[in-house]
Amino acid sequence: MGNKHIGRLAGLSILVASASMVQAQDSVFVGNLIDYTGPTAFVGKNYGPGIKDAVDWINANGGISGTQIEMEQVDYAYKVPEAIATYKRWKSRKKMVALQGWGTGDTEALISFVAKDKIPVWSASYSGHLTDPTGLNSKTEKPAPYNFFYGPSYSDACRAMVQWAADDAKAGGVESPRFVYLGDNHPYPNAPKEACSEYAAELGMDVLNPIVVPMKPGDFKAQCLTIKDSGANYAYIGNLGGSVVSLLKSCRTVGTEVKYMANIWGGDYRTIEAAEAVDYVFPSASPFWESDAPGMDRVREIHAQGSFDKSEKPTHHYIRAVCSVFYMKEAMEWAKQNGGMTGENIKQGMYAKKDWVPDGLEGVCLPSSWSETDHRGTTTVSINTGTAVDGKAVIKKIADVSLPQRDDWIGY
Amino acid sequence: MSTSSLRPCGDFRTTYKQDQYLFLTRWIGWAAALGLLVLLAAPLLLDAYLISLMILIGIYGIAALGLNIVVGMTGQISLGHAAFFGFGAFASAWINGTTGIPVFLSIPLAGVLTTAVGMLFGLPAARIKGLYLAMATLAAQFILEDFFARASWFTGGSSGSLAETVNLFGFLLDTDERYYYLVLFWVIVSYIAVANLKRTRDGRALIAVRDHYLSAEIMGINLTRYRVMAFGISSFFAGLGGALFGHYLGFVSAEGFTILLSIQFLAMIIIGGLGSVPGTLLGTAFIVLLPQVMQSLTSGLIGTFPGALSGLASGQAYIKEMSIGAAIILFLIFEPDGLAHRVGQIRKSIKLYPFSY
Repeated sequence: MGNKHIGRLAGLSILVASASMVQAQDSVFVGNLIDYTGPTAFVGKNYGPGIKDAVDWINANGGISGTQIEMEQVDYAYKVPEAIATYKRWKSRKKMVALQGWGTGDTEALISFVAKDKIPVWSASYSGHLTDPTGLNSKTEKPAPYNFFYGPSYSDACRAMVQWAADDAKAGGVESPRFVYLGDNHPYPNAPKEACSEYAAELGMDVLNPIVVPMKPGDFKAQCLTIKDSGANYAYIGNLGGSVVSLLKSCRTVGTEVKYMANIWGGDYRTIEAAEAVDYVFPSASPFWESDAPGMDRVREIHAQGSFDKSEKPTHHYIRAVCSVFYMKEAMEWAKQNGGMTGENIKQGMYAKKDWVPDGLEGVCLPSSWSETDHRGTTTVSINTGTAVDGKAVIKKIADVSLPQRDDWIGY
Repeated sequence: MSTSSLRPCGDFRTTYKQDQYLFLTRWIGWAAALGLLVLLAAPLLLDAYLISLMILIGIYGIAALGLNIVVGMTGQISLGHAAFFGFGAFASAWINGTTGIPVFLSIPLAGVLTTAVGMLFGLPAARIKGLYLAMATLAAQFILEDFFARASWFTGGSSGSLAETVNLFGFLLDTDERYYYLVLFWVIVSYIAVANLKRTRDGRALIAVRDHYLSAEIMGINLTRYRVMAFGISSFFAGLGGALFGHYLGFVSAEGFTILLSIQFLAMIIIGGLGSVPGTLLGTAFIVLLPQVMQSLTSGLIGTFPGALSGLASGQAYIKEMSIGAAIILFLIFEPDGLAHRVGQIRKSIKLYPFSY
């Protein structure tokens, strides 16, 4: 009897052990590059937790049809070589199948590596260069077949802003409004500069010489005086965080009469409150935290169960991070049913559906479609204004711009 | 500076030629040969991650070697090294892209082009030194950084420029293992070249300029010439390293070559040992590996004690950054002559054991 008991126990423990081994094996590795300490940390501190909380929620709710996502976040502080070293480690040591990336510098540096290794990337860089998977546009230097992102590209978001500005000027009776581009002379602020200025000119706007505003916060009264002297009606800001706050404050002191429009990373409630902004125009690709869209319940649940600091409400960057993870999740589910979760299959999974909103996130993520020749998921851009009233940001949606998916705009 | 040669007792050099051997003793020669064999076999033994780290060490090592010529050998200061490194990367992509010269040739040519730029920015060195020169080189950093973002014809502007894969007569160096050999080749060539430079007339002149410029001038050394030359040679290696870096990534973006990288180069040579050729490689390895080691160390600790150290997870990045800063401070205090000096001390103590006098 005793022996039998021991035998059963042994059998059971082997079963448990093997079951846990199966479980341990049944996971896939996803790397996540984040910036909590570098130059883009202002928004990185909201986006990174969005990725982590979404992955934790997926794991707690059945994973990818039973497969757990094993994720490692590495704060690379926007240092490109460190991103590359980390990528190589994940590739060779962890058998990474997908990457949630971050900045323009590292994403563009990794394009050829991920294409060769067949690892799909969902970056938080929305640079227009990443949208041409086949090199269709003659201006595309390097096709990016494995690069995805959720939301409109920087170029498309800026085009939508100038389209709104042109309409706004017409409504206000301004003949040939003047448009000026503000931003540091760096890849991230510069990414949409030409594309956007060209479209502004196409719409009959008078495009002025761009003005360089550093990415680091500082006193920008000199730049504001230049803006004032230029007589610009609309100014687009390509920077983010502290730089935008400093610029808006300096320009209020100087007294410019310009409508400021921002890049998607340069407009959120924290920036508006810190800058005490008035009628600050910025794009978004998701609702804001207070929204009653049906899918926001899921986002709030992810946030409640997640490890992100609960003392402050998340910005819309957090919500876009959730979308980014859920598109990856559904592409992985498709891959699992169609030959296994390899990078190549996951990429195919991104093409499987059209006008697609991840399950449970209705009203949160915009319907998006990716195809083998076009990685512009969506070209619909919501335009909002933000004003700080008694220290609190009041954000209103003022337009939805749906841009045409013109062939000459792909990858640009 | 420790200059003792560690030659065994009774090993006399009777000719100048003998005194000029690159390897002080036969055993050092054999050890170097063995080390070379290990390095050649590394891609067979190590995984892609370690190879990629070795490639980065090699590339930065070449650039840091250049900086060591200016700072360690000639006693000047340069805070613009990352800009020259970046210039090399863009130059190689540009030469290859516009003229069609194969990449394996455009890499050294980019070094030559960077030499010209380096000498141009090194011209103030003929007149000024110390803090003033530091500021002048800092200006070089800013001028070139802005140039990268503006000169679309040369760098592709803010969208960066594409660097072709190295193609050796139809054989593509498109994997880490293959690229490693190209980097290793240039590391060996560069390090032997600089080790030799130190033993030439010009090399000794550079060291004389560092040790006492007035005495050097009285001896007939043309200070202007050697100071500008130091910048030129230094920029050559920066450009060479940059070109290798550009073609390794396949893409060159202006974002990567900031003042922070310049300071990292300085940290590499300080930790390695100012003026020491092998020390440069040690210091580079230290700076490249430290964040990786700290990352796995903290991840390992958090993984082992998830409860007690959960608070550490959010501070992981700070630990990494702090460790680099702390390492530099600790080296300045406890090991001002760098790792090369420490290695020498260890060798000496083994050699002299048990009679350490």
